[in-house]
Amino acid sequence: MSENNNPSNIFRLAVIFFFVVILAALVVVRTSEARISRGQKQSSGASTGNPQNGKLVFENMGCNKCHGSEGEGVSGSGQNTGVPRIASTSLTLPAFLELVRKPKGQMPPFGIQRVSDAELTDVYALLQTLKPVTARETSIPANMKNGERLFVSYGCYECHGYLGQGSSRTGGSRLGPPQIPLSAFVSYVREPTGQMPPYTAKAASNEELAEIYDFLKSIPPPPPLKTIPLLNQ
Amino acid sequence: MSCEKVQTMAKPRNNEINRRAFLKNAAAGAAVLAAPPIAPAKHPAPERGATLPPAMSSEAEVGAPSPAEVLTADRTGSDFMVDVIKTLGIEYICSNPGSSFRGLHESVINYGGNKNPEFITCLHEESSVGMAHGYAKIAGKPLGVFAHGTVGLQHAAMAVYNAYCDFVPVYIIGGNIIDGTKRMPPVEWSHSVQDAAAMLRDYTKWDELPTSLPQFAESAVRAYKISMTPPMMPVLLIADAELQENPISPDAKMRIPSLALAAPPQGDSGAVAEAARMLAAAENPVLIVDRAARTAAGVPLLVELAETLQAAVVDMGGRMNFPTRHPLNQTGRGNEEIANADVILGLELNDFWGSVNSFRDQMERTSRPITKPGAKLISISSTGLFFKSNYQNFQRYSEVDLDMAADAQATLPSLIEAVKKQLEASRKSALQARGARLAAARLQTLLKAREAATYAWDASPISTARLCAELWSQIKDEDWSLVSTVGFVSGWPLKLWNIDKYYQFIGGSGGYGIGYGAPSAVGAALANREHGRLSVNIQCDGDLMYAPGVLWTAAHHRIPLLTVMHNNRAYHQEVMQVQIMADRHSRGIDRAKIGTAIDNPGIDYAKLAQGLGLYAEGPISDPKDLAPALHRALEVVKRGEPALVDIHTQPR
Repeated sequence: MSENNNPSNIFRLAVIFFFVVILAALVVVRTSEARISRGQKQSSGASTGNPQNGKLVFENMGCNKCHGSEGEGVSGSGQNTGVPRIASTSLTLPAFLELVRKPKGQMPPFGIQRVSDAELTDVYALLQTLKPVTARETSIPANMKNGERLFVSYGCYECHGYLGQGSSRTGGSRLGPPQIPLSAFVSYVREPTGQMPPYTAKAASNEELAEIYDFLKSIPPPPPLKTIPLLNQ
Repeated sequence: MSCEKVQTMAKPRNNEINRRAFLKNAAAGAAVLAAPPIAPAKHPAPERGATLPPAMSSEAEVGAPSPAEVLTADRTGSDFMVDVIKTLGIEYICSNPGSSFRGLHESVINYGGNKNPEFITCLHEESSVGMAHGYAKIAGKPLGVFAHGTVGLQHAAMAVYNAYCDFVPVYIIGGNIIDGTKRMPPVEWSHSVQDAAAMLRDYTKWDELPTSLPQFAESAVRAYKISMTPPMMPVLLIADAELQENPISPDAKMRIPSLALAAPPQGDSGAVAEAARMLAAAENPVLIVDRAARTAAGVPLLVELAETLQAAVVDMGGRMNFPTRHPLNQTGRGNEEIANADVILGLELNDFWGSVNSFRDQMERTSRPITKPGAKLISISSTGLFFKSNYQNFQRYSEVDLDMAADAQATLPSLIEAVKKQLEASRKSALQARGARLAAARLQTLLKAREAATYAWDASPISTARLCAELWSQIKDEDWSLVSTVGFVSGWPLKLWNIDKYYQFIGGSGGYGIGYGAPSAVGAALANREHGRLSVNIQCDGDLMYAPGVLWTAAHHRIPLLTVMHNNRAYHQEVMQVQIMADRHSRGIDRAKIGTAIDNPGIDYAKLAQGLGLYAEGPISDPKDLAPALHRALEVVKRGEPALVDIHTQPR
C-alpha cells in the first residue's frame, strides 16, 4: 500500500493544493496591483491621465513657479512677454507634449529624461480640471500704495531696487512688472530656491504679498531701448 | 652726489656716528669754524648700548644743551636714506606726519628737494596706503609710505591688508625709536614698539629692521625687489629714529646696492605643453582671468591666447584683463560657459573654487559644482608661490587637474606657442564655428544688458545703470581711466562701457575692506596725472566716510579726479545681511536699516567736499539733472582740479 492511497495524505495534499491556489491567486492580484501602480506612476492612461499625480508632477517640475499654482499665468506688457495661462489648456494632448518638449519663447525645454510622456499626460489631465481663473481672482483685494510702502519697509528694494529693476550684484531678479502670477510669486517668496531669504507668513502675510504684487504690477514698462541714445553707443 | 654708487663697501660702523657723540665732537671742533668735517674714522661711534659719559646722560636728562654743544649737523642718516629711496625710482611719499620719522620727512623735503620723491600730505595712514595701492595699479610700481610708530602702522593696517590680498606692491617705511633711553617721555614711549613689523607681518611679504645705514641700503633695495617679484605684496622697513637722525660725515661715501628686479617665474615647460594639449583638444575651453594681466602687456597676450583657441573668456575683474567688447568676452554669461566647459584654464584666479561652484547662503549653507562632470581644471597662478597661514584670503582649496605655480603673464608666451603647435589644421572650421557662436552670444549679452538698463531708467533715486550710462557718455571720447571698483554699481561699466586699455580699469580692493575706494582712486589719479588722463571714481558713500580727508589731499596736491558719489545712504551690503537674518527669524523684517543706514541726517557730500577744497555739487536725485552736473564737474577736472558730484542712487 502506497502512502498516496492514504486518506490522510489525500487530505493533506488537498489542503496544500488549496493554499497553493490561494497563494497563486494572491500573487496574481499583487502583481496586477503592482503593475497598475507602476503604470500609474509611469502612465495613467494614454489619453485620460491622473490629475492627482499630475498635480505632483506639476509642482515637482516647478511648472507652478512660472505658471502659478492654478496655471493662471500672467499677462505681459512692454518688453515683458508674460507667462501663458495654461489652466484648461485648449491644446490637444499631442500639441501639449510637443510644446513642453520644444517650447517657444523663454520656457525651458523639459526632455524625456526629466519627465515622461505619461507624467505629462497626467499634468495635462490636471490642467483640464483647473478653472481658467484670472490673477485678479486669486488675489486678495490689495492696496497698491500700501504695497509700495511694504516693498520698501520689508526690504524687497534692497536686492531688487526701488522699482524692482533687479541687480546682477545682489542677485535680486527683475520684478517690475512681475513676470509670474501671484500664486507663483507667493510660493517663491515663501520658499525661495536661490539666495533670497524666505519670508514666512509670520513675517509677511498673503495679503501683504498681494499688495506688493499689485504694486509691482503697477510699475510701468521701461522706455524702449531704441529711444535711449545713451544705451546705444 | 651723496647717492653716488661706489664699488668699495664702506665700513658701516665707521660711517655712522651716534648723534650725541657727534655733537660733542663737533662742539670740540667748533672753535675752528673752517676746520674740515670731522672724519668718522677719528671719532668712532660707540656701540649701541654702550654706557654714555655721565655728563652726556645728565644733559640728556635735563634737556639743556651744554654751552659747548653743537646743535646742528650737515648730513644725517636720513639724508642717506633719501638717497637710497631716490635710486629706487620712488616718485612720491604718501604720509601722515609723525615724529618717529621726522628726520626722513625733513630730508625728503629739503635734502631731496621734495622731488622724486615728493611728500604727499595725507590725513590718515589708511589713506596713505590706499593711495599707494591705487597708484601701483596704474604706475606698475610702488610709491613710498611713511608711517609713525605704533599709531601710524596700526592706522595703516587695514589698507595694507587690502593691498596684500590684491597682490599689489606697497613700500612702507615705519618710524620707531628702538632704544628706550633715547625716547622722550611720555609720548615717544607710547608710540614706540619692540617689534614694530609684527603688527603687519601676517600680511606683508617681507619686513626688516636695519640697524645700520649700510644695512638700510641693502634692506631697502631687497625690500623693493621682493615687493615687485610676483606675487607682489607690501613690504615694510623699520627706520630707527636714531639711525635717521644721527649725523654722518658729509664726505662719507655710502654704498647703495644696485637693483635688478627678478624675472617673474614661468610655468614648467612640461606642464605648459600638457596644458596646451588639453586646451587644443577641448571642445569648449574657457579661460577665467582675474589678475592675469599684471601689466598692460598682458592684455594682448590674453587676446592672442583666446583668439588662437577661439575660447570663451570670463573676466573676474581683478584687473583689466580683456577688452569688454571683444567677441570672445563672455563675462556676462560666464556661468553658462563654465557649466558647458570641458577644460577650464584659470589665470591668476583668486578664487578658483568659487568660480566653479555655486554657494547658497540659507540656514544650511550648501554648495554644488557648476561644472559638468569630467571637466578638467588648469591653474596658472603666482599665488601658489607664497602662502601665509593666519589670514584666510587664500580661499577654499580647489581640486585642479594641472597646477602651475607661476606668473600667468610670464607664462602666456610659451603657452600660446605650445597651443599653436598643438592645434590641428583639421580643427580650423570647428574653432571658427565656436568663435562665431561666442561672438553672437556676446552681442546678445550686450543687448540684454542694455535692455536691463532701461528698467528704472527715469527712477529717482537714480539707477546705477543710468548713472554709469550718463558718465560713459561724457568721458568716452576722452583718454579716461576708471579708478574705482564697479561691483557696488552692479558692474554696469563692465557691461556697458568699451574698456580696452589696461589703465581704464584697476579692479577692486582685494581684501574687501571698506575704506579702500577713495584713497585708491586718488592714488591712481596721481599716477594718471603725468599722462594727462581723465580719472573717474564712482565712489560709495560709506567707503568715503572711513577717511574722507583724502579728498583734501587731492585738492592740496591738485590731483585731477572726478568723483561721482554712489550715495545709496547706507552700508547697503550690511542692510541686506541684517535683512537675511530678520527674514530667517521671521521677525522685525522692517528694521534692517537700524545700524546700517547712513541717513537722518543724510550726509551732504557736496558740502563735505567743498569744505575740503573741492568743486562739488549735489545731491542730485532727478536723472535729468545728472548730465549737466557731470559736465560742469568734468570741466573743473580738465583744468587739473578734483571735483565731486553727489548723486542719490538706487541701492545697487
